[in-house]
Amino acid sequence: MLDFFKKSSGLLGMNARNLEYIRPHNRKRGREIADNKLFCKRVLKKNGLGVPALIAKIRTHEELERFDWTALPASFALKPNRGFGGEGILVVYARKKNNPEAWVKANGDIIAIGDIKNHIRNILDGSFSLSNIPDIAFFEERLTLLKLFKPYTYKGIPDIRVIVFNHVPVMAMLRLPTKASDGKANLQQGAIGVGIDLATGTTTSAILGKGHRIEYAPDTRLALSGIKIPYWKDILRMSVEAQQISGLGFLGADIAIDRERGPVILELNARPGLSIQLANFSGLKKRLERVAGLKIKTVERGVRVGMNLFGGEIEEEIEELSGKRVIGSIEKVKFIGKDGKEIEVEAKIDTGADSTAIDTELAKELGFAETLRIFEEKVAGRDVMTELTKDERTALFSEIPDLVDTIPIKSSHGASYRPMIRIECVIDTLTVPAKVSVIDRAHLEYQAIIGRRHLQKFLIDVNK
Amino acid sequence: MTYHPLIAFFAEQGVPIQTVTLLLMLPIVATLVAFFRQVVGIKAFGIYTPSIITFALLAFDPNGLKYGIAIFVSVILVGMVTRLALKRFRLLYLPRVAITLSIISLAILIILVIGGIYNRTGLAAISIFPLLIMITLAEKFVATQIEKGSRVAFLLAIETLLISIVGYFLVSWDALTALLLSYPWIVLLTFLINFSLGKWTGLRVTEYFRFRKIFRSL
Repeated sequence: MLDFFKKSSGLLGMNARNLEYIRPHNRKRGREIADNKLFCKRVLKKNGLGVPALIAKIRTHEELERFDWTALPASFALKPNRGFGGEGILVVYARKKNNPEAWVKANGDIIAIGDIKNHIRNILDGSFSLSNIPDIAFFEERLTLLKLFKPYTYKGIPDIRVIVFNHVPVMAMLRLPTKASDGKANLQQGAIGVGIDLATGTTTSAILGKGHRIEYAPDTRLALSGIKIPYWKDILRMSVEAQQISGLGFLGADIAIDRERGPVILELNARPGLSIQLANFSGLKKRLERVAGLKIKTVERGVRVGMNLFGGEIEEEIEELSGKRVIGSIEKVKFIGKDGKEIEVEAKIDTGADSTAIDTELAKELGFAETLRIFEEKVAGRDVMTELTKDERTALFSEIPDLVDTIPIKSSHGASYRPMIRIECVIDTLTVPAKVSVIDRAHLEYQAIIGRRHLQKFLIDVNK
Repeated sequence: MTYHPLIAFFAEQGVPIQTVTLLLMLPIVATLVAFFRQVVGIKAFGIYTPSIITFALLAFDPNGLKYGIAIFVSVILVGMVTRLALKRFRLLYLPRVAITLSIISLAILIILVIGGIYNRTGLAAISIFPLLIMITLAEKFVATQIEKGSRVAFLLAIETLLISIVGYFLVSWDALTALLLSYPWIVLLTFLINFSLGKWTGLRVTEYFRFRKIFRSL
């Protein structure tokens, strides 16, 4: 029982969200930007962030009567300025053939100017705004669906919700419109929420509506995990920038990806919902507490911190399944030499090489200066391979301290031997004892390459 | 029953004891609603509606619960049916609520008459104010239907009824009334409770339920 309460402390509840995050961090100006879509669009655009283009706006009933309907493009989205929860949004896809005064909706219904006017009247009268205050209606460009998302999406456009706190993206989810949500990317209305690994932008677990866990897109065998979201770093960067611009300390940024334009910010949310925790199977409070108080000076830094702190869930899962660690093609490796001397360098993980090799200088620093000096003295400059018999060679090498083996190398000068020493490599916290060859790598980018022989406990992710 | 000197003084000045009791009960009912929201996670329609419904239920006494709940449910059901019927006309907000209110009034009138036919005179004898309170519930209900959808509105209505019923039992609890009249100062305790509720950041009971599936993976 006690354990239960301890675990739940990582979750963000409504009380804590309101009292500890929204109240102190989302001041009036930020909330005004979030609640006023037109204002938000203007502010973001002025600061160079992509938003769906504004086509026209209608503020009053008079403007509605005088509106020039021929100015509208074949497809557009009509929205209430202060709408919430995706209510009151009307999207048309094309003009009806041979009729400039009617459009076609996603479900094939025809909508005439009269219907649109009626809808706008409802918007102006505040039917879709909070506490029914009079509102403004506006037309904006309709975004086009990315091919990648097509099989997962029922009409509408999926969007990505990113929670940003203290300039760090802390959690994200992909929201897919469904039949139940009528093409709207809103969880309350029955859309799908898919958790995202922040480090890689790859989807993890998914929920339908407000909490039902699912693995496949409805009525398909398409797995919802493992979708790699394009422009991932841009999306995180835009979210953090949106936070700096809006001043919303605790922000939920909604970003959609247009087929031509790439990521654009749909809207900013000053009161982001809590279901994102269900989609990610992770607690938001725990994450918020980790980034609170960090000094983040640049957008880049914020993005990097978020990716480092809140990614790797997929890796952990793979590691758990395979019992192997997932490492990248370039990895920080700590070498432990003689007398416990430790040096950490960036090493190339090279599955094309059989054994591991380190640079001469590195070997010297690890305490093998003496070994190398004697080796050079006795071996270098001589063609030991042809001059000496096998036994003579063995005798010669055995006089050299700490030399465990040698490896024949063929080069343009003929064949020669390189010394091998015994050290320990710490790769991703795992210690691997290794016999490594020492070679001059001064002209190469990495001071060490790790070969197949020492990679048996690892899986390599080339994207990392 | 022994009154606190202060209560006795109020009574001497001509304030009916019943009025004093109800006014002292209001902070307690309001605190109850706040507790349900912050700790349990039951939302209801704000704080005013469940409080006022609580007192409306009381006013329906001696058959408070039976008739009160019947009227409440009727209002909600008629409100839902009316919305369905009016949906396709795409009416503006206030005229739509006006029509809904009118239909609910008529429906309640019919219920009272039917009650009369079946000799349920207790129903017809209900004073008009609790009835009006119940009818105005419709506006809250319709507004929520528009903003958050029928399902949420229905859920909130049920939650409102639930809190009101708990409130009803609390207020009609004789021991509590006696306690309040003997020690009216205990009303001040509600300030203390509300202060701590106002700073309460723990998970709500409903959130434990909502997030139950995550606990294992945390």
